[in-house]
Amino acid sequence: MPDGRIPTSELDLAHGVPPNSMSYITTLPNKTGSWKYIRPLYRDRVAPCNEGCPVGIDIEAYMNLLREGRVEDAIDMLLRENPMPAVTGRVCYHPCETTCNRRRHDGAVAIHAVERLLGDEALKIDIEPAPRLYPDEVAIVGSGPAGLAAAYHLARLGYGVTIFEAAPEPGGVLRVGIPEYRLPKDVLAKEIARITALGIEIKCNARVGVDPTWEELDGFDAVFLAMGVHKSQPLGIPGEDAEGIRSGLGFLKDVNFGGRPEIGPRVIVIGGGNTAMDCARTALRLGNDVEVLYRRTRAEMPATEEEVREAEEEGVMMQFLAAPVGVRASNGRLLGLECVRMRLGEADASGRRRPVPVPDSNFFVPCDTVLTAIGEAPEFAEAPLDHDAWVIKVGEFGRANKDGWFAGGDIIEEPHTVAHALGAGKRAAIGIDHYLRGKRGENEQPLELNELRYGKLGNVPITRWRDDDPVDRNGAVNEVVGFEDLNLEHFTSVPRHTDRRLSIEDSKRGFAEVNRGLTWGHGLDEARRCFNCGVCNRCELCLIYCPDLAITRRADGTGFDIDYDYCKGCGICNAECPRGAMVMTREGL
Amino acid sequence: MKKVMVGNHAVAYGAMLARAEVISAYPITPQTQIMEELSEMVADGRLKARYIKVESEHSAMASCIGASATGARAFTATSSQGLVLMHEMLHWASSGRHPVVMAAVNRALAPGLNIWTDQNDTLAQRDTGWIQLYCENGQEVIDTTIMAFKLAETVNLPVMVVLDAFYLSHTSEPVDIPDQAMVDKFLPRREARYKLDTDEPHAFGALTKPDAYMEIRLRQQDAMDEARHAFKKVEAEWKKLSGRSYGAIESYEAKDAELLLVTSGTITSTSRYVVNELRAEGKKVGLVKVKMFRPSPMAEIRKALAGVKKVAVLDRNISPGHGGVFAQEIRSALYELPLEDRPVLFGYVLGLGGRDVTPKTIREIVDRTMASKAPERHDLWVGVAS
Amino acid sequence: MSQVMIKDQVPEKDYLTSGHLACPGCGAPIAMRMVLKVLGPKTMVSLPACCWSIIAGPFPQSSLKVPLYHTAFETAAALASGIRAGLDARGDTETTVLAWAGDGGTFDIGMQALSGAAERNENFIYCCYDNEAYMNTGIQRSSSTPWGAWTTTTPVQSPEASPKKDLLAIMAAHRVPYAATACVAYPDDLIAKVRKAKEMKGTRFLQILAPCPPGWKFADEDSIQIGRMAVQNKIFPLMEVEDGARWRFTVDHRGDAVEPYLKKQGRFRHLKDWQISKIQSDVNERWRVLENRVKYGT
Repeated sequence: MPDGRIPTSELDLAHGVPPNSMSYITTLPNKTGSWKYIRPLYRDRVAPCNEGCPVGIDIEAYMNLLREGRVEDAIDMLLRENPMPAVTGRVCYHPCETTCNRRRHDGAVAIHAVERLLGDEALKIDIEPAPRLYPDEVAIVGSGPAGLAAAYHLARLGYGVTIFEAAPEPGGVLRVGIPEYRLPKDVLAKEIARITALGIEIKCNARVGVDPTWEELDGFDAVFLAMGVHKSQPLGIPGEDAEGIRSGLGFLKDVNFGGRPEIGPRVIVIGGGNTAMDCARTALRLGNDVEVLYRRTRAEMPATEEEVREAEEEGVMMQFLAAPVGVRASNGRLLGLECVRMRLGEADASGRRRPVPVPDSNFFVPCDTVLTAIGEAPEFAEAPLDHDAWVIKVGEFGRANKDGWFAGGDIIEEPHTVAHALGAGKRAAIGIDHYLRGKRGENEQPLELNELRYGKLGNVPITRWRDDDPVDRNGAVNEVVGFEDLNLEHFTSVPRHTDRRLSIEDSKRGFAEVNRGLTWGHGLDEARRCFNCGVCNRCELCLIYCPDLAITRRADGTGFDIDYDYCKGCGICNAECPRGAMVMTREGL
Repeated sequence: MKKVMVGNHAVAYGAMLARAEVISAYPITPQTQIMEELSEMVADGRLKARYIKVESEHSAMASCIGASATGARAFTATSSQGLVLMHEMLHWASSGRHPVVMAAVNRALAPGLNIWTDQNDTLAQRDTGWIQLYCENGQEVIDTTIMAFKLAETVNLPVMVVLDAFYLSHTSEPVDIPDQAMVDKFLPRREARYKLDTDEPHAFGALTKPDAYMEIRLRQQDAMDEARHAFKKVEAEWKKLSGRSYGAIESYEAKDAELLLVTSGTITSTSRYVVNELRAEGKKVGLVKVKMFRPSPMAEIRKALAGVKKVAVLDRNISPGHGGVFAQEIRSALYELPLEDRPVLFGYVLGLGGRDVTPKTIREIVDRTMASKAPERHDLWVGVAS
Repeated sequence: MSQVMIKDQVPEKDYLTSGHLACPGCGAPIAMRMVLKVLGPKTMVSLPACCWSIIAGPFPQSSLKVPLYHTAFETAAALASGIRAGLDARGDTETTVLAWAGDGGTFDIGMQALSGAAERNENFIYCCYDNEAYMNTGIQRSSSTPWGAWTTTTPVQSPEASPKKDLLAIMAAHRVPYAATACVAYPDDLIAKVRKAKEMKGTRFLQILAPCPPGWKFADEDSIQIGRMAVQNKIFPLMEVEDGARWRFTVDHRGDAVEPYLKKQGRFRHLKDWQISKIQSDVNERWRVLENRVKYGT
C-alpha cells in the first residue's frame, strides 16, 4: 500500500515477525498529543485600529476584504458601522492610525485615505429604503454627525425616524463649520442623501422648543438630542463687542452658505483648535493676511497636526503663548488687540499646563478683523433632562434621566470630534433599540458597554449588537492585539503612500478640495500593508511550520483544525503567527 | 568451454555468468584481479552491471546492501584488512536478509603486514550470519560462485565464497566455464519479495526493541538451518546440469580410516596427495574436507567422524586464547557423540601468514598423530621455531 | 504583498505522518516534510543512525510514506550509491535516491562515504539536517558544533574549541553539480532548492539547519525564530554553489548582531563578552570570504 500499511495476512510472518525488521504500520498509533502540557488555540482577537476608532468600525475586516479585492464587501463592512465614510475619510482625526501596529514597523496603514476611497466609491451605490420592522417612531434633534448616525442605525434596525434640524440645511457642523476645501459640499450632500434614502425624514428650519416644542417630542416613542454646540465662547475681555470682532463659527457659516464676508485685510484668529485653523485658512483664501494667536504652545494645540501644518504651509502666521486682554478701536473701527505674553504654569484638570500671563508683557497687535474660535457652548437650557452648563448627563448608551430620552454628540461628555459624534449616535441607537425592545416585552439583558465594545476602550460595533458579523471567526475573544503579539519576520518594509494634494498655490487660490487622497492602486497597496492584527487571514504559516503535521486546512476555507491527538504543544504555530491570531493555553483548561 | 585461468578470474567468470547486476568493490591484494577482470567484462559489455568503484570496503558492502535492498543482484570481493573493515556491514547484510555474494580471498591479518594465505580473516566473520563456502580449486571456485547466488536468494542470506590467497587466487588451472544458457536456466533473474519499492513502501531495519529482536534473530537462525537443506538441493540441481557437486563436507579415503585429517581450502589438495601416498603404503589414513563452514555441518561431521580413532584438524588460523577455529567447531560437533564414538582430536595450527604447507608437513602431522595417544596441547603448532 | 505569502510555493501533499517521535519543536521533521513534499512518492531514503532513526518510529512502524532503509552510521552515502546502482541496473531512472543524515553522520563518521560518492558524482540527493551535535545520543559535540558551544563533551569549563567545519566548501571542492545551505525557518527557500536539485543529475547536496530545543537549550516554540536569527546574523548564511564555481546568496541577510541569538540559547549562556565579540568578528570575517566566493568564485 502506498502509505506503508500492510495487512499482516499479506506478510511472511514467522514467530510473529517478518524476515527482518521491516515496517508494516505507520506511526499513527502513537498519540503524541499526550506529550503536551500546553495547547494552541485559534483565537481571533481585536485589531487595535478597531479599538482606537471612536465610531466602532471593524477596520481590520474591511481592510482584509479590500486586500482580497472584494471592494463591494469591504464597502458593505464599512457602511454597517459608519454612515458617512466619504466625510470621515476627509475630516476624521484618524486615531486608528495612531493605534495601528504597523506604525511601529514602517508607518501606519493609511486607513484614513482608504476609508475615503471606499466612501467615495460608496457614494455611487443606490440605497434601498430600509424595511420598516416596528411601528415605533423616534425623534432626533439635530442633523449633525451624531443625529445622522443615530438615524441611520435606527432606520436599519427597522424603526421610523424623524430628524428636526434648526438650520436651513442638514449636516450640523459638517455643513456650517467645516470649510469646502476640506469637505466639498456635494460630497456631504450625497452622503446625507444616501442616509435619507433609507426612509429618514429631515425637517429643516425646525428649531426644537419652537417647532417642535419639547412637549411635542414626548409624543415620540424615543427621543435623541444631538443639537451640538454652536454658541461661540466670548473672549471675556473688555470691548470685545467692537465691530470687527466676530465669532469664528459664524464667519465659517457665512462662507459655507456662499457668502464672502468683508474682513481684513489683516485678520487675527484667536484659538488653537480645528475651528481656528478653519477660520484662518478660510480667511486666507479670501485674500487676507492671517495670524493665529494661541495662549499655549504649538504642542498643546488641540487642532490636528495636519491642519496646523497645512495652515502654516499656506502662509498662516502663528504666534504662541499670546492672549488678548483688551481691544483698541477708534470711531467704531477696530484698530487691534492688546495682548500679553503667557507662560505655561501648573497642569490643569485636563493635564495640560495652564497658561499664566507674564506680568508687564503687554504688546499691541494691529488688525482689522478678529475671529474668535476658543470653543463653543451648548444651548439646551430648556431641555427637560439632567444637565450642567456644558453637557447633558447620560449613561454609556446615551440614556438620559427621562424615560425614552437619549443624548449624544458634542452635548455630552465626549471629545468634540466627528468620529465621537458618530460613535455616540450609534450607541444611542443601540440604547434606543434596547429600550424599545424592553417596551415590547422582548426580555433584554441589561446593556453592558464592556461586553459589546472593542477591547477595553473601543466603541461598539453594531454587528455585535445585532449579532450579524459576516466574518467567519475562530474562537473570537475581545482582546486587543498589541505590537508584541505580532511576528514581523514575514513582513517586508513598505513605506506608506502619501495622499495626492493640490500645490500650495492652487490650494490658496480658492476653496477647491486640497487633499485628493490616494489612487486606487495605492489604496490597495495600503490594504496589503495591513497586518490583519488578530484575525487569521489563512496565510497558513501555522500549517506549514507544524513539525507534527497536526494542522489541517478545512475544506470550506473557514480556517484550520488542530489534531490534538498528535499536537505536541511545541507552540511554533503560535510563535510564528504573524498577527497574533492564536494563543497557547494550559492543557486541561 | 575449458580455459586455463587463475582462481581470481574463476570468481569473475562466476559472477559474470550469474549476471551480477551491481558490483561494488575496493582493491586489495590478492583480490585485485577479480575487480580488474570484472571491470573489463563490464567495460566490453560481457557483463551488464553497474560497477561502483567505492572508496573503501566498508562502503563496498554498504552499497551492495543498498543495491540488494532494491532487489538487484549484488556482488563484491575482498580480503584480509578489507574484510575486517567490512565487519560491521557483514552483520547488516545478514540480519537485513540480503542475498549478497562475496568472494573472500583468505589473507593474513596485520600487523605484521602479510599478503599471503591465512584463514583468520574469514573465520573472524563466523558470527556475522554469512554462509561460508571454502574452495579447493578453480573449478570449485567458479561452480561455488554461481551456486552461491542461488543459495543466497533461496534463503535470503549472504554467501561468502572463500579461496586461498595466491595458492588459489593466483594459481592457473584449467577451468570448465559453464554455458551462459545453462547458468540462466539454473539461476533466473532475482525477484525479491521484500524490497525498497515505492509502490509498497516499507522502512527496513528500524529500532527493534527487546520484544521483537530475538524473533528476528530466530528467523535468521531458521534461515541458516534451511540453508543446509537448500545447499543440498542447489548442488543436486547443479550436478544435474554440470555434472559437478561438492557436498557440505567430503570424505576422501575415509572408509576404515584410523586417522582422519580434517582440512579446508588448498591444504585439502595437498592432503589428498599425501593420503594417496599413505594409502599406497598401507596406512589407514583418510581425510574429510570441510566446504561449508557456516551453517556448521554438524550432523555430517558427526556422521563422518564418529567411531574414528583419531582426528587431526588442520587449522590455517588461530583464535588467540583458544586454538584453531575448525578444531573448536569440530570438537563442539563431536561433543554430542556418545563417548565411545568420539575420536581423539588433535588440533594442528599451521601455515599462518602463508607459511607453506607441504606434503612433508602433512606427513609429519600424520606420523605425529599416529604416534601420540593424545595431544600434548590443546593447539599443536606446526613448523614453528621453538 | 507586504506579508510574503509562502503558502503558494508549498506543495500540497505530505509523505510523512503524525505520530512520529521527534521532540516538540524539532526542526528535523520540518526539514524532511518540506523535502519530501517536493521529491514526492518516487523517492527512496537512505537513513543512517541519527535523530531521524528514532523519529521514523520503531519496528514495525514507519512515519514515512516512501521506502526507507535504516543503515549504519557512516554509510548514508554508500548505501545510497548502492540503491542508485540497483535501481539503474533494473532500468528505473525515475526514482530519486535521497540520503538523509544528521551532522554527525555527514561531517564526521560519514565524511568518507560522502566524499567518495561526491567524487564519483553519484546520482542522488544528500541532505544533511544539521543540529550541530550528536543529538540522538545525548548532545555530544560534532565537527559541526560551533565554536564556544556547550555540549555534553564540551562542558562550560572547556567549550567547543574548533570552528564549525565549512562543509559547503568541502562539497564545492568536489565540484558536485549542486550544493546549498538551507534552513527550516525559510521553507520557501528550501523548497526552491530541492526543486532545483530534483531537476539535476549527479550528486546534489543540501545542508539544512534544523534547530534543536533540547540540545541548544531554548524554548520549543522558538525553533523557527532561532533558525531565522542564525541566517539573518550571517552565522548560517543561505547560499548555493553550482559545479563548485558559481556561488550565490539566496536570501537577503540583514547582518543582525550575533549577541541576541547567542543569548537566546542555553548552550551559549556561559559565553563571556570577549567570546561573543570573537564570534561576531569571526562571522564578519567569514562573510567577507563568502562575498568573495560569490563575486570571484573562490
